[in-house]
Amino acid sequence: MGNKLFHPLATGFLVWILTLPISGVVLDGYFFSFHWQPPLVLALAAFLFHSGILAVRWWHSFGKLLKEKRGLGDCPQGFDFAVDQSSLSRSTRTLPKGAILMALPMIVGGVLPFFLNKYWLTVAILALIYVLLALGLNIVVGLAGMLDLGFVAFYAVGAYGYALGHEYLGLGFWSSLPLGAMLAAGFGVVLGFPVLRMHGDYLAIVTLGFGEIIRLVLNNWVSFTGGPNGVRVPGPTLPGLEFTRRAKEGSIPVHEFLGIDYSANHRIVFIYLVLFMVVLATIFLVTRLKNMPLGRSWEALREDEIACRSLGINHVTVKLSAFALGAMIGGIGGVFFAASQGFVNPTSFTFFESALILAIVVLGGLGSIPGVIIAAIVITILPEVLRDFSDYRVLVFGLAMVIMMIWRPRGLVRSVRPVFREHVR
Amino acid sequence: MDATILAQQAINGLILGATYGLIAIGYTMVYGIIGMINFAHGEIYMVSAYLTAIFLALAQFAGITSIPATLVFVLFFTLLVTALHGWFAERIAYRPLRGSNRLAPLITAIGLSLVLQNYVRLSQGARSQGIPSLMQGSFILPIGSAGGSVQITHVQLLIIVVAFLGMAVLTFIMHRTSLGRACRATEQDLTMAALLGIDTDRIISIVFVIGAAMAAVAGVLVSLNYGSFDFHIGFITGIKAFTAAVLGGIGSLPGAMLGGLILGLSESFFSGFVNTDYKDVFAFALLVLVLIFRPSGLLGQPMVTKV
Amino acid sequence: MKGKVYGGWVLFLMVLMVSSAYAEETIAIGVAGPFTGAYAAFGAQLWRGAEQAANDINAAGGIVGKKIQLFKGDDACEPKQALAVANQLVDRHGVQAVIGHFCSSSTIPASEVYAEAGILHITPASTNPMVTERGIATLFRTCGRDDQQGSAAADFIVQKLKAQAIAVIHDKDTYGQGLADAMRAQLQRLGKKEILYEGLTRGEKDFNALVTKFKSLHADAVYFGGLHNEAGPLVRQMKEQGLKAPLVSGDGIVSEEFVIAAGGPAYADGVHMTFGRDPRKIKEGQEVVDRLRKAGFEPEGYTLYSYATLQIIAAAIEATRGTDGVAMAKWLHAHEVPTVMGPKGWDVKGDLKTSDYVMYRWNDKGTYDEVVP
Repeated sequence: MGNKLFHPLATGFLVWILTLPISGVVLDGYFFSFHWQPPLVLALAAFLFHSGILAVRWWHSFGKLLKEKRGLGDCPQGFDFAVDQSSLSRSTRTLPKGAILMALPMIVGGVLPFFLNKYWLTVAILALIYVLLALGLNIVVGLAGMLDLGFVAFYAVGAYGYALGHEYLGLGFWSSLPLGAMLAAGFGVVLGFPVLRMHGDYLAIVTLGFGEIIRLVLNNWVSFTGGPNGVRVPGPTLPGLEFTRRAKEGSIPVHEFLGIDYSANHRIVFIYLVLFMVVLATIFLVTRLKNMPLGRSWEALREDEIACRSLGINHVTVKLSAFALGAMIGGIGGVFFAASQGFVNPTSFTFFESALILAIVVLGGLGSIPGVIIAAIVITILPEVLRDFSDYRVLVFGLAMVIMMIWRPRGLVRSVRPVFREHVR
Repeated sequence: MDATILAQQAINGLILGATYGLIAIGYTMVYGIIGMINFAHGEIYMVSAYLTAIFLALAQFAGITSIPATLVFVLFFTLLVTALHGWFAERIAYRPLRGSNRLAPLITAIGLSLVLQNYVRLSQGARSQGIPSLMQGSFILPIGSAGGSVQITHVQLLIIVVAFLGMAVLTFIMHRTSLGRACRATEQDLTMAALLGIDTDRIISIVFVIGAAMAAVAGVLVSLNYGSFDFHIGFITGIKAFTAAVLGGIGSLPGAMLGGLILGLSESFFSGFVNTDYKDVFAFALLVLVLIFRPSGLLGQPMVTKV
Repeated sequence: MKGKVYGGWVLFLMVLMVSSAYAEETIAIGVAGPFTGAYAAFGAQLWRGAEQAANDINAAGGIVGKKIQLFKGDDACEPKQALAVANQLVDRHGVQAVIGHFCSSSTIPASEVYAEAGILHITPASTNPMVTERGIATLFRTCGRDDQQGSAAADFIVQKLKAQAIAVIHDKDTYGQGLADAMRAQLQRLGKKEILYEGLTRGEKDFNALVTKFKSLHADAVYFGGLHNEAGPLVRQMKEQGLKAPLVSGDGIVSEEFVIAAGGPAYADGVHMTFGRDPRKIKEGQEVVDRLRKAGFEPEGYTLYSYATLQIIAAAIEATRGTDGVAMAKWLHAHEVPTVMGPKGWDVKGDLKTSDYVMYRWNDKGTYDEVVP
């Protein structure tokens, strides 16, 4: 125990040494000024943090001691095994509770736009877009177990599909939605095909490469995509109705049609509601797929490819279908992104975006649909809440990512694996 | 095509490639030993660039004037502090996740790189910083037709020399010392190595330290060569170096250097003779092509699936 | 870290309390720009200029008896964040006018939000023509346009430098590429054709391959559309490879950071750039310049532009006795406003009536002088 007390001191000292040059010596042109306080503050913070962790651990073990010693001791968090509930029996047993749990977010989500101002509404739309993206990536990474670091490519294809489709072909929002989805799915198959042979991290880097190639082409092909200037995107319309103060010829503004006052919010509320429906439909689709033969073969292939192939599962179609479906959902997210932003340019589709979506999927719990949804909402809202910290915003966000991951390495909601259990009666 | 220009572009590519290679070592060693992509490695390189400038300023403040002494001073301290950063990163962000979900450390790495970037930005300010040029002058080699000449600056020569020296030392350590043997054993089978009495936690720490040290060497050399950096440089260089590591076959030391050189040369030639706009597209396309035909990189061990 | 965060919370709560206590008597004005990210240095310029102007106006009793309160909006030069920031400024802070957005790629999407809300929006720094070409009545700028800037540079290169083989490089961003395109268009009008038109990657430092390419094509002038982060290493590598051709660029390198990025005054020496007449040398602004220098901030780059922008907003509020964006815009279209940068007036698009791009040359002391025509 005495030895343990020494540890926080050592941590503090190490942090002091570590931060002394970077935060103590501030460069000013080719010279520097010396600040002795910041390293000391950081060292103190590290000391207190480490002491805090020790105190919590001590309290924990003290409590355990009181409750008698258990045979197992404390098992590291990463290692406890999935609860052995059969998903089939669970769904029948807890249906009423599950129905309430499902209905509540649906109602809240549905009435939300009528209580939020425009700022929070745009944040909510962004959150829903990330829910879509995360659900899409979850199919590829979480269910099919293929690490994809270039998911943003499909997002970009969807967004640019709408933007360029409008620019060159005059397509509207409603025709772009299925077309963007199909286009992204097509890209998913095209990109998925060459990487069938690859595994793990080689797959990761190739998808990263594809993602970057698509972004770079969008940026460089100025005559077609507008390059860095991006493309302007019109807002969505209902057939014959528009969300503008004064309509173009041949259509009526929505506010006149409904007989209410014009408000710039209508367009955003409309996007939100459509997006919300699409998200619900996607959740339904993915949940069903998970329990269908296709979903089962994704998960089986993730667990053991060789066994699956010897059992006659066609790994090509299974893998490609995961890529295509994931990409399709990502493409839909892209179309909504373009519609809500009114403007797309390549800076929105960097590798960092892919990393963020992956972070959502892993933080939420690989393969777990509710977890992924919660994580997507947290990850989008957190930086906006932190905006009041302004300068410290991204730093705190990064710290939160590290701490959350260490705290729950398997994600916020661990997916319950379907386990076959013999009913002994 | 002019031979002079060709030679000059080859030199440009070689230097760029050598720096990629040095940083790629960090990726490849960490991957080899615990099978994890350390995305925060690019930021470690960024930190080392700042440290170079800081220790250079301190050296001038301490009254060190001779260039070799300054170089040794800066290299020593930058290496030391950067290595400490590498060690610390492993300790707080990766070790708690050992043996857990394979993707979890990837996410902490992304979080850690955000933390490092913004920590440096808040401490040092957002503006781009620089170091005064320490070594000037260049060698001029007559190559090619009619009075054409190729030049290589002293710093550039230093980069090539140090990069290959670093590789040689590292290869020696890995193949001829007991530490290297322990590293290789841990790489092959972590559990077995631990059973045989190797302190695998220590070995993993050491690998992170070596990776960070190589990044620091790159940081010092690149800062001396280009003279400017900001808190953002880690990202793009990190991706390129990672690409180099995979191209050469991740997990293989000579592969990292080879991948770096190929990437540097291809960027340089494509930019010089075709088009700068699409040089990154070309680099990534090359990577994809190589991996399609050699799924574990140029010098990588083919992955054996255990049944 | 914890201490700082805690301090941040306390500060935030205090600001919240103060702002709610005085909510009735202030005029909220948003300052949007890159306060984090790679271009944070320019954000700092915008903020310091606006802050100084707000302090000066408040010290003199405010506008129509109300004090000015500034709100920071950080877009990091990303369009996605720009939109979130614009909505936040409008809906959460209820700003009545906006100074800002530095990068044109942020200003363009954000301006639609301000236009929809009917808020006066003046950018002190976005020079892309597209900013004002979209017919938004409440949008103005206090800086020039890239097409004016680019053609000034082309004239200079062709007529003064007498260059024959001109290489045009940009950084593949809205600002940089727009500038390079404008420059190229003027070159064509002058009957010249560039020998090279390519984009480098923002964030990279190694342009040796490109420099060797200049050499192989015997370029005798290089035009770069972009910011100092890339211009610095580019000029350094040009000098190291012994390329004699001068580098000419735009207002993206107007910062002493350019000298640092280039590796010292010796490398920056001889680089030309276009920029508005140095606002620090206009006599109306001397007092403000002194005040900022005393506070330890060199009012370079866009600092005074931002100061002037707040003065213009204040003048419009004063004249219309209100904060209605449309009324203020109407007034601004019809009147000239005296600022620290001299009197300013606008055309129907919201561009300045008189643009005054001047060629500067960095010297070996790390400062820049006007090139005497």
